[in-house]
Amino acid sequence: MQKDLEDKFLLDFEANQNIAHKICRLYTTNRDAHNDLFQEITIQLWKNYPKFRGDSKFSTWMYRVALNTAISLYRKSTRRIKTQDISDFVYKVKSQDYDDTEEVQLKALYSAVHQLNDIDKALIFLYLEDKPYKEISETLGISSVNARVKMNRAKEKLKNILNP
Amino acid sequence: MDVLDDYKKTWINQADEKNRLTSLEIYNLSHSKSSSIVKWIFIVGVLEFILWTVINITIPDRFYKIYEDLNLMEYLNIFMGLHYVIILVFLFLFYRNYKRVSLLENTKKLIQKILKIRKTVKYYVFYNLTTVFLGSVVLNIVLFSDDAHLMKVMNPQNLTLDIQQVVTITVISQLIALLIIIVLLWLFYKLVYGTLLKKLNKNYKELRKLSDV
Repeated sequence: MQKDLEDKFLLDFEANQNIAHKICRLYTTNRDAHNDLFQEITIQLWKNYPKFRGDSKFSTWMYRVALNTAISLYRKSTRRIKTQDISDFVYKVKSQDYDDTEEVQLKALYSAVHQLNDIDKALIFLYLEDKPYKEISETLGISSVNARVKMNRAKEKLKNILNP
Repeated sequence: MDVLDDYKKTWINQADEKNRLTSLEIYNLSHSKSSSIVKWIFIVGVLEFILWTVINITIPDRFYKIYEDLNLMEYLNIFMGLHYVIILVFLFLFYRNYKRVSLLENTKKLIQKILKIRKTVKYYVFYNLTTVFLGSVVLNIVLFSDDAHLMKVMNPQNLTLDIQQVVTITVISQLIALLIIIVLLWLFYKLVYGTLLKKLNKNYKELRKLSDV
């Protein structure tokens, strides 16, 4: 029973791990911290997996657990020196007609989002992932109307950082 | 078209993480030890319960001599019985709040629940401090109401002191002890909970702001 559950979890998570990596990239700025947060997200996903009923998609469920971990559970390790080491990451796009302006754009986007607070980060992330307002408001625990208003403000902040 | 829509397209088009983990790596990670804020709040909370209980238990017998001298032993015993019941209630609440934390809640609810674990411990410490304070107030009232008792308790070696000096020494030493305790506790809370809860409080404030747009 436990073995079946575990196999299913590994399969589900392996296929969807990119969601967690993207969240780690947004909430941390160097490789060590990224791995730390990824580890905590993995622990929490597994711990909560028995409660995953399958009435929603695994990925939908994962957004919530992973974001909650990044916002509320993850503790920046104090042992590490705080560095703005964004260069640890290589931002690649998978477009067929290869265009390096897209890569520059992606890098700019990440470093702009890094400057937002944790909640605005979540709002922008869910917007970029094309999530409906209903899901955004349910994930964060605010009303749909407030989610809309706040999203517009977060987008404004982001635009100002991108194009000052 | 919104300028961000352009960025959004790039975002959706970004390549998958190049350091993808294998199932085995994920398996190992999922069975590793968590170092989450909640876990730390729980550990610090348990340590606090232990600390205060140890303080309660290890008070030397001679401390109670003053109660015997003042014929307060009976009240003290009743109070201690009640005290242990209250500690058990606190422990139950603390554990229940910890167990209620679920990552499946929305973010706002989740942070509320985490902060609630910490609140139980805070109330526990307040309760202990209040009993220490009220206990010493009662003791002082009984003590100062009878000069002979005061001389006997505060000056057991029968040094040549007049009652005025004894009163002054008693009051000053109590004030100093109180001050030291308050400073130590304040430092402890600033340090431990300050670092642990800084992020949570900030995010909770942000979410509350979102709720009353």
